[in-house]
Amino acid sequence: MILAIIENAFLSLVGSAIPASTVVVLAATGAMLGERVGVLNLGQEGLIGIGAVYSVIAVLSWGVQSPWMAMLIGMIAAAVAGLVFAVCVVAFRASQVLVGLALALGGIGLSNQLGTNRNGTLIKTLFREVNPGGVLDNNDLMSAFLFHDPIVYIAYVGLPLVLWFVLFRTRHGMNMKAVGENPAAADAVGVSVTGWRIFYSVLGASLTGAAGSYMVLAFTPSWSPDIARGRGWVALAVVIFAGWRPGWAVAGALLYGSMISLDTTAQARGWGLPFMGASDLSFFLSMLPYVVTLVAILIPAGAVKLGRRVRSTAAPAALAIPYAREER
Amino acid sequence: MTPLGSIAGAVLSATPWRLDRRLEVDTRRAALSRISGAVSAMVVVGILLLLTGRNAFWILWQALDSILGSQRGIEGVALRAIPILMTALGVALSLRMKVWNIGSDGQFLMGGLAAVGVGIHMNGPGWLVLIVMAVAGTLAGAAWILVPALARAYLDVNEIITTLLLNFVAFQLVVWASLGFWRDRESAVIRSTERVPVILEKIPGAESVTIALFVPVIIAAALWWVFRSTTIGYEVDTIGGNPRAAGFAGIAVRRRIMVVMLFTGAIAGLGGMLQLSAPGAQAMNAGFSAQFGLSGFIVAALAGASFWGVMGGGVCIAAMFYAGVLLQTKGLSVYIIFASYGVILTGIALGEIAARYRLARRDTEETGTGSDAVAADHASEGAGS
Amino acid sequence: MTGDSPQPSVEARAISKAFGGVAALDAVDFEVRWSEVHALVGENGAGKTTLCNILAGIYRADAGQVIVDGVERDFRAPAHAIDAGIGMVHQHFRLVEPMTVAENIHLGWPETPGVVSQRTLIDRTERFMSEMGMHVDPTAKIWQLSVGEQQRVEILRVLARGARVLILDEPTAVLTAKEAEELFAVVRELAASGLSVIFITHKLREVLAVSDRLTVLRQGIREITRPTEGATAGEIARLMTGEERLLSVEHRVVTGESTLELRGVSALNDRGITALHNVDLTVRAGEILGIAGVSGNGQTELAEVICSLRDLQSGSIAVDGADVASMSVRAVTDLGVGHIPEDRIGMGMVLSAPLKNNAVLHNYWTEAFSQGLTLDRQEVIDFAKRLVEAARVQTRSVFATAGQLSGGNQQRLVARREALAADRLLVAAHPTRGLDVNAAQEVRATVLDKRDGGCAVLLISDDLDEVLLMSDRIAVMYEGRIMGVFDAADADREYLGLLMGGHTPAEASR
Repeated sequence: MILAIIENAFLSLVGSAIPASTVVVLAATGAMLGERVGVLNLGQEGLIGIGAVYSVIAVLSWGVQSPWMAMLIGMIAAAVAGLVFAVCVVAFRASQVLVGLALALGGIGLSNQLGTNRNGTLIKTLFREVNPGGVLDNNDLMSAFLFHDPIVYIAYVGLPLVLWFVLFRTRHGMNMKAVGENPAAADAVGVSVTGWRIFYSVLGASLTGAAGSYMVLAFTPSWSPDIARGRGWVALAVVIFAGWRPGWAVAGALLYGSMISLDTTAQARGWGLPFMGASDLSFFLSMLPYVVTLVAILIPAGAVKLGRRVRSTAAPAALAIPYAREER
Repeated sequence: MTPLGSIAGAVLSATPWRLDRRLEVDTRRAALSRISGAVSAMVVVGILLLLTGRNAFWILWQALDSILGSQRGIEGVALRAIPILMTALGVALSLRMKVWNIGSDGQFLMGGLAAVGVGIHMNGPGWLVLIVMAVAGTLAGAAWILVPALARAYLDVNEIITTLLLNFVAFQLVVWASLGFWRDRESAVIRSTERVPVILEKIPGAESVTIALFVPVIIAAALWWVFRSTTIGYEVDTIGGNPRAAGFAGIAVRRRIMVVMLFTGAIAGLGGMLQLSAPGAQAMNAGFSAQFGLSGFIVAALAGASFWGVMGGGVCIAAMFYAGVLLQTKGLSVYIIFASYGVILTGIALGEIAARYRLARRDTEETGTGSDAVAADHASEGAGS
Repeated sequence: MTGDSPQPSVEARAISKAFGGVAALDAVDFEVRWSEVHALVGENGAGKTTLCNILAGIYRADAGQVIVDGVERDFRAPAHAIDAGIGMVHQHFRLVEPMTVAENIHLGWPETPGVVSQRTLIDRTERFMSEMGMHVDPTAKIWQLSVGEQQRVEILRVLARGARVLILDEPTAVLTAKEAEELFAVVRELAASGLSVIFITHKLREVLAVSDRLTVLRQGIREITRPTEGATAGEIARLMTGEERLLSVEHRVVTGESTLELRGVSALNDRGITALHNVDLTVRAGEILGIAGVSGNGQTELAEVICSLRDLQSGSIAVDGADVASMSVRAVTDLGVGHIPEDRIGMGMVLSAPLKNNAVLHNYWTEAFSQGLTLDRQEVIDFAKRLVEAARVQTRSVFATAGQLSGGNQQRLVARREALAADRLLVAAHPTRGLDVNAAQEVRATVLDKRDGGCAVLLISDDLDEVLLMSDRIAVMYEGRIMGVFDAADADREYLGLLMGGHTPAEASR
């Protein structure tokens, strides 16, 4: 009996943690792309908003029928915002921190404004879960890991594998890392630092935009103000936790997602503790994802301090430092 | 947001122009450049709004006119200026040391929350309660930045994301307090904490502005003096300028970073207490901070290192903020105001760069006119002194 | 070598370049032929590196033409220069530290396969290394390599890309005498195989040893281009500096009380590796002890432990009998210890702060300026004015930021400030590095004044000539150990050079 309850709880935790973390996986991968070439984009929160609101607009106002198309539109919108950011910080070498925060603020404001008249309208153009056929039924243990929409598989398996392969198995990835570690070295061998930095920050921004699109096209699924609710910041923290390695970002995001799903599960089931009522526990649990994320970035830093970690998990050496060839 | 920027970028790479770094940037030019960046960003926003059919310039003019024309308007600005100035002073202090405290919103909330806790539980003479509230708010603000400060000082963890994550925790805690443990249970519809019975003394002649208005002025003056005439100010400036040189000079860099970060949190926390003890506030709810932390951050970014600049900038932003409230009745939402904050911040960042660089042609000789002060200064080096 | 191939490989015509309104190159003509080693000679700031950066596509010239193998080129990026067969090895290596040798060689190289494993990279690198006859462990990370090995990686990388013109910027600055000899052999071999090598240096001995022709630059203007054969060091030096200046120093033998005593000192570097092994040293009042050695053999750490900027692993350090190891930086300074740090800009000053702040960096807490918490603004300003005048720093006011000063003025300011702070001991780390001849002489005079005033001086320099010129006694450091201490009168240049390269005294005297 007890075992069944635990299993049941575990299943619903995993089942809801995976979609809850998808947004963070996508955004963290987007942020990581830019950071690998040395561009820190603090505007993830705004990019999620922009991606989300344009997908909502595409579906509700432009009559887009396909969730893929709606997501593409969200990605393009975020990419445009990412391009503005990249031009400011890469071409003009403006402070990445300031412009990043500006993007966060501006993106949230802009998306909230555009979403004003669409609050709460249910989105019906959704990503559907993949059904692996009649082999498994919905109550199986495996169902927690299967029966998700295609974006889940792309975010958890496809993207990390592709990114890992590019970064560690191709010439392209080697050059990319060099731009983030030592742009002067990359420049000296003919890699265009400006070009690569702009390209990857725009590509990264579009991925973060996809994260926003996923929120409204699968997760919530409707527009509400401040849709990102800190997921953009969590994504940035996850990148640090992951040590800029794509696979580890998935782990970090799942950590956050399980905290979120712990909260929702507890709420749905009215869980309580002997010393804390159900509603108080729920309030407490809603703080937990951010606390856990904070602790998660302190752990690798502490490990480095104690000398248990190697160089490969350090931040790209040129992160957030503008590069200019002719300065001296 | 700044289409001009991307166009200029594209044009730049295809032309024989390039950015040249100036050998010197004096603070006045930098400040001027930041301010003009902010102003041109506002013009861009205005034009964008004009294109969508809203004459923002006219509306803003009307709003400012009504603000400056009445005591109520001026008091409205002052009321909003207090929290913004407090968070801005905290951030400006951290920027002196090149530390980005983005968590002043959370520290502000915690300051308010601690003050509520004291206010609703403590019995005693009103003045004593207020003093204890102020102490509690200050300590709570400092406590809220303790972990990021320790992590930054001793683990070299960047403070931007740690301070920011704590904003969300603080917000959830406020929600919990106002719907849970300190909820006002008198009425089922009120979604806030119990009310604190005491408020600060009003300024003679004012309808709603309390003596809290003097606190940011006193703090700005104190900070100005510290950075002008004490070794502590000298040390903080040295750490901000070059931490290695600070170590060379025997300054305990890590400890200083931690202590200054605690102070920035404390100032924001005290701001929360001041906000709480204004007439009419007196309780916490989810809307307690109308993004005062972010507004304060923008003010600090605009003012650079100058605490008096913070005072001026803070009042301007507060006026904008108050005007924004009026604008909402004329079809401009609060969201547009935040969106325009983003554009303004970008303008400030670009202005900062514009002060440091200048546009020069790649393939021409240097002429005296373009390179202005720099060449002249070098020429006068021999003659001067 | 060959003198009968007058066909130029690279030609620069009337090249001009200015930085921030200050001319670095003024209508310079420069021509290099195939199969020659061409030395580009000049003082610091003469424009040698700027000229080569233009040839390598790093900078764009403000005016003038670059002609490679008879074709006029307009390099907008280093990639264009690489395509044209020009490769440059920079003074500060452009290598990606956390990556391996094999990865660094294949970086940004179009011939690298699109999909690569470490295995293929290593195989390709090994094959290429055996072709070129130069070897470095391809699996090593750059930060694990010695400076000489890193340089070889740079050269290999440039050659791998089919460079026909190789530019070496001050390649021997970081090498031991032995490593430098090996480099000369490589360079001559490359020229013999038909390549052009441009060899940037300000060391006259090297010019005469390695080059076929030479070009002298002075203050952005070309002075001369001529065959090396028949040139004398004195003649080149005159062309470099415009005139001959000599500083003569009388060496002393000082006995008496020792001011600085190091006994069995060991310490770690920033990477946690032992950088000082059991170092014993004594410096007496009124003498200069010179530390000779190639950079990176523990000199930086030595200066830092003495000034309490770095922790000791073992041993003791005493200044006038007081144990320094347990003291704070401030307490050590209060004993009368001044420190001209190796990295003047990175450590010795705050560029964004006004001169007045920089002037008191090492004594702002003393009674002269500070009573408790307060800092006497007027005193600071007055002191800064006096310091600026004494150091002959050219500036309009003490409120100008340090970043506004020229490099020479910055260095003079730091040197004089530390000399003032040093009543008992002055630690001077590479005090003339990066200075032109005039400024260097001034700094040397400052240091000598301190000695003559009875201060003990520890002079660290990787310029053996400077150590020989200035020191009363000389200690040689190699890999964190003191290889021997000599009176200036007994010091033999060649012998010291061998010790600097790691020979034991027994081996060296053979």
